Amino acid sequence: MTKITAGTPHSSRYTAVDTPPDETELAGQVRELTAGLSSDSADLLTAFHRIQHEYGYVPEEAIPVLAGQFRTTPSMLYGALDFYSEIRTSPPAKTTVEWCSGPACLLKGSTNIRRALESVLGCAMNENTSDRALGLRLVQCDGTCHLAPLLRLEGRYLGPLSVSDAIKLARGLKGEEPAAPEAEAEG
Amino acid sequence: MSTYDELKVRAAKAWQPFEEPQRPLIKVGVTTCSRVVGALETLAAVRAGLAARGLEADVMVTGCWGLCYAEPVVEVRLPGRPGVLYGNLTADKVAALIEGTLVAGGAVPELALAVLADAPLDGVPPLGSLEFFAGQERRLMANCGVIDPEEIDHYIARGGYEGLAKALAMTDEQVIAEVLESGLWGRGGAAFPTGRKWDFLRTAPVTPKYMICNADEGDPGSFVNRNLMESDPHLVIEGMAIGGYATGAAYGYIYIRDEYPLPVERMEKAIRQAREQGILGENVLGSGFGFDLEVVRGAGSYVCGEETGLIASIEGSRGMPKIRPPFPAQAGVFGKPSNVNNVESYANAPLILRNGAAWYTSVGSEKHKGTKMFSLSGQVRRVGIREAPLGTPMSEVVMGAGGGPPEGRALKAVQPGGPLSGIVPASDVGIALEPEPFRERGMGLGSGGLVVMDDSNCIVDLCIYFEWFAEDESCGRCTTCFAGTRRLLEILRRIAAGRGRSSDPEIMRLLADTMRYANCFHAQAAPTAVMSMFRFFEEELNEHLYHKRCPAKVCRGLVRYEVVHHSDRLPEAEAICPTAAVVRDNGHYRIDQAKCIKCDACREQAPYAIAVLDAFGL
Repeated sequence: MTKITAGTPHSSRYTAVDTPPDETELAGQVRELTAGLSSDSADLLTAFHRIQHEYGYVPEEAIPVLAGQFRTTPSMLYGALDFYSEIRTSPPAKTTVEWCSGPACLLKGSTNIRRALESVLGCAMNENTSDRALGLRLVQCDGTCHLAPLLRLEGRYLGPLSVSDAIKLARGLKGEEPAAPEAEAEG
Repeated sequence: MSTYDELKVRAAKAWQPFEEPQRPLIKVGVTTCSRVVGALETLAAVRAGLAARGLEADVMVTGCWGLCYAEPVVEVRLPGRPGVLYGNLTADKVAALIEGTLVAGGAVPELALAVLADAPLDGVPPLGSLEFFAGQERRLMANCGVIDPEEIDHYIARGGYEGLAKALAMTDEQVIAEVLESGLWGRGGAAFPTGRKWDFLRTAPVTPKYMICNADEGDPGSFVNRNLMESDPHLVIEGMAIGGYATGAAYGYIYIRDEYPLPVERMEKAIRQAREQGILGENVLGSGFGFDLEVVRGAGSYVCGEETGLIASIEGSRGMPKIRPPFPAQAGVFGKPSNVNNVESYANAPLILRNGAAWYTSVGSEKHKGTKMFSLSGQVRRVGIREAPLGTPMSEVVMGAGGGPPEGRALKAVQPGGPLSGIVPASDVGIALEPEPFRERGMGLGSGGLVVMDDSNCIVDLCIYFEWFAEDESCGRCTTCFAGTRRLLEILRRIAAGRGRSSDPEIMRLLADTMRYANCFHAQAAPTAVMSMFRFFEEELNEHLYHKRCPAKVCRGLVRYEVVHHSDRLPEAEAICPTAAVVRDNGHYRIDQAKCIKCDACREQAPYAIAVLDAFGL
């Protein structure tokens, strides 16, 4: 079995012990946050979760710090970081709507909901609006299928939703009043 | 008295007030599926309601009975009477419940699901008569919804850790022999005999050895492992400890997917409690055997549910599966001998050791003994989790317990166990839930996540989802996989957009054939759904391919929305349209096809006025 880690200290710019003089404040905070975690046990995912819990995402400055701590190269560390879909590498929007991609939700109309949300919110899946006020994020099925099709908003589960429900929700988030139906003229 | 006997005595005392309550007992199921529909609010309302009336009662948090369709579920047990399960008990119904039960001294039939007895009581039907419960064999789920998952004493009082105590008095070979005799095979989908896998680890000459629990449960639609972990975490711990003893492993990892925060919490708490009671640690139950566990929280990756991908993830890199051999029993995590087993596989071990292989094999089919948990979702009236003996006809679960598709719709197909398992047509819904019938149809039984389709769904659309999932989750190591899944997806999407070519089926078959040579099971099995489509749904595929028609009117590229009648709901349709495609000219409504994104909102508002038509037809 090949070991993935590079092994020798020269492959990362600094060892886990020495703090370089030009390290940014953020990188220093990351170092503190993940002190004691190492590659000898199952700690890399723990490190990612701790950092994301603190900042909402894993900033770029964390990469060389973690690479040193876990005795691997920054590119290998970045490869691991990018691999996991629950870890963000850019700041989240102020409010993120999570859309369930699971099969039960699919069978009950989640594709239509997605289409409508992308249109109303004005951003594609897994992206934020240009002002970062709103974002749309694809999440995996967690088995709360009795609410299919569903969305998650700030930890709350909303479902079963119709497409109209989703549109009204999205309009509410954008601060738009739902358009009142015009009075029928004639015929 | 041995350590275990001491624990048992103490646990029995702690559980006694709940076994035979001398005062009213209210159990509130707090789990992932019930929290999302207000179980915590129900719990708070129960406590507040009791306090406000000055009533003396015990309130217990429990796990899940598997009745997701009826959550939040609350049990009320009055002294001297069997408990009564109440369904959909949101906070607003708590007052009526307390009045009708604790105050009035009876039951509230309008709110009740069933009484936990063989005969009806107070107008409430018995549990066995509930359609969802008929024919269930609750062995793995015996504690689910009954005990507090955060109280180790409840677990011990009901027979918990007796299996481990028995195992510790046997030799490692004897323990494995018992597991082999039970016929237990891996419940995660691979169905490899568990006893044999443990034996490979037992005979490995290198230490340290590791027991790893695959609690990634990445198959969308599968939530059986989640239920066990949050409703009876000690069952899993006991299973892993038994496995550790039988194989010589001194440490274990429980790799739980990130999407399951409550199982992470409850499993970590259970491990702490087990350590405090001397069940985990250097001297398990005073036997001299040392075993400890750690929870690893995943971060979102389906292939981390593949055993070598899981191992790579624990080691701190991308969860990329590796070619086997070497198998984990030879070189696993950190290069040391390991076993990766599913949550449910471990959960069977305590029952086998406690009750014996003869008891274990008393249910099941001719070839396959024991039970399996199945989760049910999609187009069924009742979503939930059910435990059935192996060999049970799938129709019993889907149509009987689940109630089949909603009113007015017909069953079309069932995905038996994850996106790589295939698609079973409605005509085959009576298929026995065991490996062979599925293999004969080119499919797999999988992990037990049954997802049901009806005639409002499209097979091509479902295949697109499965191939999208396979492609998205591909680790990227081998071209065969990431390119193969991508090409399958491109072709399917082209077909769904009305640009299918007559050469497409041949190319897809060629891709499927080539993907057999991929690095791991992910790509080998990714084309299974498409092969099921060729075998059982060829007509529907051909409609898309040759007639540019989606019979179920699902594929967005093959439909168009038109105003076909006038109705006074059209102003609502105009208002809801996100792209202002519902347009009014001179009092007549029409749909601007250039703007329409086919989201179906207008038809929801005005179903008589607006229809979905074939895009390429008349």
